[in-house]
Amino acid sequence: MTASASAARQQWLRELLAYVVLLVLMVWTLGPLYWMVTTSIKTNAEVYGTTATLWPRQPTLQNYRVLFTKTPFAVYFQNSALIALGTTFITVLASALGAYALVRLRFPGRRLLARVLVYTYLVPQSLLFIPLFTILVNAGLSNTRTGLVLTYLGFTVPFCTWLLMGYFLSVPVELEEAGLVDGCSRLGVLFRIVMPVTLPALAVTAFFSFTLSWNEYLYASVFVSDVNAKTIPTGIPSFIIEDVFFWGPMMASTVLSVIPPLAVYFLFQRWLITGLTLGAVKG
Amino acid sequence: MPSRWERLKNDQRVLAALFLLPTLLVLVSVVVYPFADAVWISFQAKQAGTPGRFIGVQNYGELLGNRVFLQIVWNTVFYTGVAVAIKFLLGLLAALVLAPARRLNGLYRTVLFIPWAVPTVIAALNWRWVYDEFSGMLNNVLLALGLTQNVVAWLAEPRLAMWCVIAVAVWTGTPFYTMSFLAGLQAIPKELYEAARLDGASALQEFRYVTVPGMQAIFLVTVMLSTVFTSTSLVVVNILTNGAPAERTNILPNFSYNLAMGTGRLGIASAVNMIFFPLLILVIVGISRRLLAARTA
Repeated sequence: MTASASAARQQWLRELLAYVVLLVLMVWTLGPLYWMVTTSIKTNAEVYGTTATLWPRQPTLQNYRVLFTKTPFAVYFQNSALIALGTTFITVLASALGAYALVRLRFPGRRLLARVLVYTYLVPQSLLFIPLFTILVNAGLSNTRTGLVLTYLGFTVPFCTWLLMGYFLSVPVELEEAGLVDGCSRLGVLFRIVMPVTLPALAVTAFFSFTLSWNEYLYASVFVSDVNAKTIPTGIPSFIIEDVFFWGPMMASTVLSVIPPLAVYFLFQRWLITGLTLGAVKG
Repeated sequence: MPSRWERLKNDQRVLAALFLLPTLLVLVSVVVYPFADAVWISFQAKQAGTPGRFIGVQNYGELLGNRVFLQIVWNTVFYTGVAVAIKFLLGLLAALVLAPARRLNGLYRTVLFIPWAVPTVIAALNWRWVYDEFSGMLNNVLLALGLTQNVVAWLAEPRLAMWCVIAVAVWTGTPFYTMSFLAGLQAIPKELYEAARLDGASALQEFRYVTVPGMQAIFLVTVMLSTVFTSTSLVVVNILTNGAPAERTNILPNFSYNLAMGTGRLGIASAVNMIFFPLLILVIVGISRRLLAARTA
């Protein structure tokens, strides 16, 4: 056998191996999601017992109907949406202001503050929930959506400020100086010059704040017990106690809960990799 | 001569203070102060809703003398170590396969990153249903393929439960590694690979002498970040088993949560989380040093 034939053979083997790995990873990733989606459109007969099926023979939307007529899912969904949007809006604004100051203004303690941002982001929520609970109760903010938004800012703001600092640094100073000479205030420079050219970065920031608050579980389950303020992550698991045959509606609820973060993910996909390498996900 | 207002307006210190005010308010009120408070509470006998009483290190003493607690400490180490190791290997494998140009690569990437966009609570609930003893996917598929005659109680079997919980942590956590590693692979200069090939390096040697050294920094940061978040997040355990069977799958953050919410003993519940804190500080300082260095370089 010639050298080039053996090289070609080796190349071919490598490709085959790559496709095997890909296939295994795809099945592993999609398997549970397949089960989630199919269960949500099955009848109870196909979900449980000896008549259970691996794929739905008679697809039905009954589980979704149950979800909206017999459970407070719509309330949870609305709360989650309001909290995630509120957190996102405040986070983007606060981090843009903070990041700009840390990158472009001269003041004592600048470096220290940048370091503190990283530290605070890394302080785990499991360390903070006990004192935070007491604080929220004393402030009359337990069982409220406002209380959750305020505590979520504790992990979204440090990370997003840190993320934006990197992007703001890449904006040419000359651009900003031109704005200042033309009579823009610093705030004007930030809003009219810096933020428009770093739009992808702001999108990434918004994405992270949205998904982190949409997914949050620990704070939500400790600080909120009132059904009217519950969010999806704490509301849905409570279905388990309420009903024995709950898996159909439960999977319908998980399908619907995955849609918003997934939609945002598909929309922002291109810009996310950069953000992630900086340690975006608590996973 | 500029007026007082003008001088104030041009003083960057005042401006910086104004710009940073919201961030500082947030950091102090919901992170820094609560953190200091958590340390302080761990030295108190404190029942929920009542003022605490300072008792020194009694909470820590009680914990360290408790065999269940020591079991949970070991569980936490095992859970974190194994989950991080598997996520690392799968993430690296996925990144190596996804890095070269290939037909439909965009599709593969999108699919393999999906678990990252799925909320952990949702993923855990979904997996709980996959593991279900009588109607779950796993048993149904195994039965259909004739691989087993009897259903397996995945989450109740003492020897299997921890592995099943780890599998879920791996499912949700791997995309973070894949993304970091992909970005790292793309940052290695192509010339290094070409040079290695000219020198007659095999694929394995290429990996050993070009890829691994080029990825070292990313490996380290990714593993450290993931270790912090894996060991301190209770979602997967809380939803899947809540520590059952017989505390076999319980980990520290979930134990602390149950102590605080179930018994209202806030002092000792705080102490639980503090056990690993000295170690955590080392990791946190390590990460921030690396992140800051990367930023200034």
